Amino acid sequence: MITYPKYLDRSETPIVRLVGLGNAGVNLADRIHMTHRLDIETVAINSDQQSLSSSVASTKISLGPLTTRGLGAGGDPEIGLDAARESLADIEAAVGGADIIFLCAGLGGGTASGAGGLVAEAAKKAGALLIAIVTSPFGFEGRRRAAQAAVALQEIGNQADAVIHFENDRMAELSAPRSGVAETFAGCDELLGGCLEAVVRLVSAPGPLGVGLPDLLSILNGGDGSCLFGTAAAAGDNRAHEALEDALKSPLLDHGRLLDDAASVLVHISGPPSLSLAEVGAVMQEISRKAPDHSLLHLGISTLQEKESPVVVSVIAKCGTARPARAPMPAPPARKPQPKPQQQPQPPAEDPAPPSSQEPLIEAGPLLEEKPLIAADPLPAPVAPPTPAPRPRPARTEPKPAPPKVKQETLQFEPVARGRFEKIEPTIVEGEDLDVPTFLRLTGKNR
Amino acid sequence: MAREDIHVGLEIGTTKVCAVVAECRQDGNIRLLGVGEAPSRGVRKGEIVDFENACSCVREALSDAEEKSDVEIRNVWLAVTGSHIESFNNRGSVIIPDEGGEITEEEIQEVEYKAKEISLPKENEILHSIIQHYYVDGQKGVLNPVGMLGSRLEADFHIIHGVRNRIQNSIRCVKECHIEVLDVVVNSLASAQVVLGQHQKESGTLVVDIGGGVTDFIVYVDGAVRHSGVLAVGGDHITNDISIGLRIPITRAEKLKIEEGSAVLGKSLPGDKIVLKNDTGFSGKEVEREMLNMIIHARLEELFSLLRKHLGDEVPQHLLGSGVMLTGGCSMVRGIREVAESVFEMPVQLARAQAVSGPTSAFENPQFSTCIGLTKYGQAVRSEMAEDSSLVHAIKNLGRFLRLPF
Repeated sequence: MITYPKYLDRSETPIVRLVGLGNAGVNLADRIHMTHRLDIETVAINSDQQSLSSSVASTKISLGPLTTRGLGAGGDPEIGLDAARESLADIEAAVGGADIIFLCAGLGGGTASGAGGLVAEAAKKAGALLIAIVTSPFGFEGRRRAAQAAVALQEIGNQADAVIHFENDRMAELSAPRSGVAETFAGCDELLGGCLEAVVRLVSAPGPLGVGLPDLLSILNGGDGSCLFGTAAAAGDNRAHEALEDALKSPLLDHGRLLDDAASVLVHISGPPSLSLAEVGAVMQEISRKAPDHSLLHLGISTLQEKESPVVVSVIAKCGTARPARAPMPAPPARKPQPKPQQQPQPPAEDPAPPSSQEPLIEAGPLLEEKPLIAADPLPAPVAPPTPAPRPRPARTEPKPAPPKVKQETLQFEPVARGRFEKIEPTIVEGEDLDVPTFLRLTGKNR
Repeated sequence: MAREDIHVGLEIGTTKVCAVVAECRQDGNIRLLGVGEAPSRGVRKGEIVDFENACSCVREALSDAEEKSDVEIRNVWLAVTGSHIESFNNRGSVIIPDEGGEITEEEIQEVEYKAKEISLPKENEILHSIIQHYYVDGQKGVLNPVGMLGSRLEADFHIIHGVRNRIQNSIRCVKECHIEVLDVVVNSLASAQVVLGQHQKESGTLVVDIGGGVTDFIVYVDGAVRHSGVLAVGGDHITNDISIGLRIPITRAEKLKIEEGSAVLGKSLPGDKIVLKNDTGFSGKEVEREMLNMIIHARLEELFSLLRKHLGDEVPQHLLGSGVMLTGGCSMVRGIREVAESVFEMPVQLARAQAVSGPTSAFENPQFSTCIGLTKYGQAVRSEMAEDSSLVHAIKNLGRFLRLPF
């Protein structure tokens, strides 16, 4: 299935193209283009002529001049899709020849939601690495838009190598609660622009530990398409700490918490020649603390010639536990918490894992016999696979239903800790142990 | 210049041991010469639980104080506290021998002796007996009956008592350092000496000294001690609550309480979070500010409610004309005044030592109220003693049997 994609065949810096789709997408692309001043080509695709004419993009495609007459899709994805079909040739021409395509779109409306899947497909067909930067609508924009956005996100996600997804509802985290709307939106665009810039820098900057497109691809492959992103720059004495700290603060990373779920993490550190190994070590140590043990860490380091340049730490991680088959190690721990799917599809028969081929047969037998029992009590299921010996199994299965693993809620008479007052004389006033935190006693009473 | 009348107050607190060296002038003014401090170990809820450790802390604090004040400390006034300390009011009465005779010092001594004739638990000892009012032939509100004529003298005393061995432990701890203990004074009484002026004592004030391990309180009404007590809840409890509630170590909780904590609810924006640094210096755990404040608020509100409930039986609200004075280290918690005001429903002030000169940083700090108060107490007792020096038993019993100038 893996052919030889075009982006592997590069001899020099990859060609990056920024595609803005729909009103929001064009705005975002414009803003990224203007603020980050990256040397990339910008393509604006929209069904709304007005938006196109004000865009700074070098290439502009008016979607479906016949379908929409340049008046926009009016929030209807069907119209957006029709318009995209009409202008498919233009789209294909615009995305052709690029190594990396960033597709910016604000989902939920008509154009981006309708045409998103098609544009993504065209970009993939052209052989580029497709990174979608999408926003989903605010909660207050209604359920219809949210539903349209969800569908479009899935369509794009199916095609894209990576989806950087920003929920507009989280915009509040970017700025102070009372700051202006324009400022908040600018902050959001800045965040997404930063992601884009980081990816471009990542694959193009030279360094002792370079990260190429293949590395990036291996991070972004698999999973459900959504990806975690954080980037920040800092200078000064404590630059490595500060940069990582700010990078982890990114709402796209949920303050580093989402790293818990990351299957693979790419960390790229770029800095001036004075960037020390100790700083890199400190950053990586912190990252590995936050990321799960089985996640695959990739490190890229690039040094810039300017002595004044700040240290920039970018963190890209892929969500989800689904991993390519070549990494068998993380699979068992990932599966453990979900015992049911392991049992129902009868994995031993399909699993290509090398361990003894007899096992599936043996396991299939008792499983079938026990089926009514297991169906009644799902808990013995996780116990079954790890028992390798076939003989003791029938003997064991008999008493198994007897000790039910159902968690019995016990009434706790001494429910709370007294902390540092554990071993000293309690202070009891009116029958209450005052050493127990007040708020705990209060919540107990309210129940 | 001879430094006459130097008093040293020593408090073995739950969070710190501190010693204050002060020069007491004849006019009643106190000048601080030095404050010695040492973080406390082996003390929980105001009582010693690890003798060795506590001793070394006392030694540390005293040598620190000696160094800073350039005074050699030989004897100290020692503050004691703990949940074992209790108090009550009792009346004693004596018949004046010859009908219509003059009341002399002797009768005064006797009536106090009578007032102290009460049944205490065996292990308890009276720490203070403080005169409230005299009654001469049923006439109320006599402040000094000496020289008056009457046939019957009665007196109300406020008696504070505690478990002898526990008090002895504190004394022994100091004696281990080869330092004499002049007398032991209950925390609240010592604090009140400096945070209250005569006016506040007259109009009625509740002094609440919230320390690390315990809360000492004392009520002055009409210039006399009406009520006092100890509640074994203090700043440590707040720290412990935070530690349990937010699942962070005690030291971190203490820092958070001091740096970020507030007892006022509803002031922080929703979602306002405090980021804690982990051991590598990166931001680790996040703590919701409102949660932190809620924990502090709950504890303080409960503490004040308990106090109010406790006082409600003994001291009617309307007697406290000057409201509530908060002191002690825990009174530095932000927003504590607002909480106290809402519970007590009367004006609350943050108090610190008054009528003291010396390093501002020391007497402005409510943590030192008790210690500075001890020196003032010492001065008061000494000056009384000078006056009463003719009385042999007065010297024998030191300040214990002496009236305090209220």
